[in-house]
Amino acid sequence: MSAPLILAVPSKGRLQDDAAAVFARAGLPLVSGATRSYRGRVESLANVEVAYLSAPEIAREIGAGSVHAGITGADQVAESAEGRATLSLALGFGRCDVVVAVPEPWVDVETMEDLDDVAASFRPRHGRRLTVATKYINVTRRFFAGHGIADYRIVESLGATEGAPASGAADLIVDITSTGATLHANGLKTLADGLILSSEAHLVASKAIPWSAAQKKTYAAILAKLKAAV
Amino acid sequence: MSDKATGNKAGALRALFTGAGHKFIELPIVYPARVFVELAGEDLRRQLYLTSADGGEELALRPDFTIPVTLHHLASGIATRKAGYSYLGPVFRLRPGESAEFIQAGVESLGRRDATAADADMLKLAFDAAALFGVKKPKVRIGDSALFAALLNSLDLSPPWRERLARAFGDTPRLKKFIASANGKSEPPHSELVGADVATVRAAIGERFATTGLGEAGGRTAEEIAARFVAKAELARGIPKRAAGALTAFLKIAGTPEKSLAALRTLAKREQLDLDDALAAFARRIAAFDAHGIDADALAFAADFGRRLDYYTGFVFEFPSPRNGPLIGGGRYDSMTAHIGDGKVAVPAVGFSVWLDRIEIAGKPRAGKR
Repeated sequence: MSAPLILAVPSKGRLQDDAAAVFARAGLPLVSGATRSYRGRVESLANVEVAYLSAPEIAREIGAGSVHAGITGADQVAESAEGRATLSLALGFGRCDVVVAVPEPWVDVETMEDLDDVAASFRPRHGRRLTVATKYINVTRRFFAGHGIADYRIVESLGATEGAPASGAADLIVDITSTGATLHANGLKTLADGLILSSEAHLVASKAIPWSAAQKKTYAAILAKLKAAV
Repeated sequence: MSDKATGNKAGALRALFTGAGHKFIELPIVYPARVFVELAGEDLRRQLYLTSADGGEELALRPDFTIPVTLHHLASGIATRKAGYSYLGPVFRLRPGESAEFIQAGVESLGRRDATAADADMLKLAFDAAALFGVKKPKVRIGDSALFAALLNSLDLSPPWRERLARAFGDTPRLKKFIASANGKSEPPHSELVGADVATVRAAIGERFATTGLGEAGGRTAEEIAARFVAKAELARGIPKRAAGALTAFLKIAGTPEKSLAALRTLAKREQLDLDDALAAFARRIAAFDAHGIDADALAFAADFGRRLDYYTGFVFEFPSPRNGPLIGGGRYDSMTAHIGDGKVAVPAVGFSVWLDRIEIAGKPRAGKR
């Protein structure tokens, strides 16, 4: 038998439930392997191997070409697989915005242009660079470079990014928000032109892995069925 | 490429630099990453080769020699002393389409008070280095951010605009965008604090710090936020039309140093700008180039040419290559020691680096043949 198509699917939380639901609606119910196994299969397709991973891992593996396709957010693809993946289909769940947010008391900062002014004068005043906490390192660098901002430093955030300004870990953040409530609760506000990208979960294909004719055909079948279901 | 040929050229280059009085030094390859990121900004970090120390400190392979040489200078004696250094060795930088590990050689001259002569010495030595590799008839781009700084000071601009424009120097499309906003769109702050005085704004910000639970420790203070909030009204007023016209005319000036100097003088006269000191310094530098035997026709001045790193403070030059970045890049970076050290001691500094991988290809009579 020819090599199977490897499809990475979220392994936890809302994304896992929503992904399982959309596959079920499409007539492609996912079947987990043995208990606690991170491998599974698709009920009605023999030559597909399902790999359960976290959403950031899925984007990384797609970018690295170790899986053929997966379900992950456009934000994750922008961060870890930019240029090495195709967003085949928006799935209508997992919606979030990646935004630049600054402390609400910064009444003088409303735009990225303002932030550039602040960044440039920050080190002479404070003896260090302005710091940005984020999980989205590559997305942040591209966006800031696009606005001509160079005078800052990224602090990689692993946990609750929105708490970084309150704890003193960073001056501002780049993070996801869906309603803005969490940002507000942490005393942060988004900038008028600080929306970096609007994301939702997608079926994503890797451009970094060789595809056999059979694998392409299988993928096309999955895409067609999911398309009909969303 | 023959390694032996490379070795010979490298040896000759080293002899050229030490013969000109620049002591050859060997420097570490690995440094704390913050040294480079603090100086050159986050944009450089994505080009860095990073690793971690035992305790988690982020380390980087050196992406250039200028920063390591300056660190060496500051660590090995009184900062303001006069010293010339030369170097040759691998540097590491992610470069699209080019090898990430490559050899740079160069010279850094610190502490000289005779800036004009030091600039000319550097440029002459760079020409000699290029000749060593057989680079024929180089057309060297030169620029001077001090001229632009003088222009900004002599124009009718509000301080926040002056700062924005100064920062964008070297990025001409961005500068043009700023200039286009002359008398144009404003950016009205969306706040009930508009029109209030600094003290009122400051008090309101203090309250917000309290209600949001955000401290200002180590970060922006209510004082500086209030000051900038009030100053922002000036940004909304844009750039006066007259100043915008002068800026646009200035950025277009390019050509041989003599012709450019004449064009700058004409502009200054027409717009009644006080550029006397900056133009006199520029004229002295041209005279020094001439006295050093540098062919004026080999120099192409461009008023908009500069580097966007804020430690470069004046004269910059570049030997361009037909296919990628510069063969040789250099310039004056009088602000670097202040940025590295305690922020007080600014040591005059000028230097240049040769990209050996590029110059060896550029200098070959016929690529691939011996």
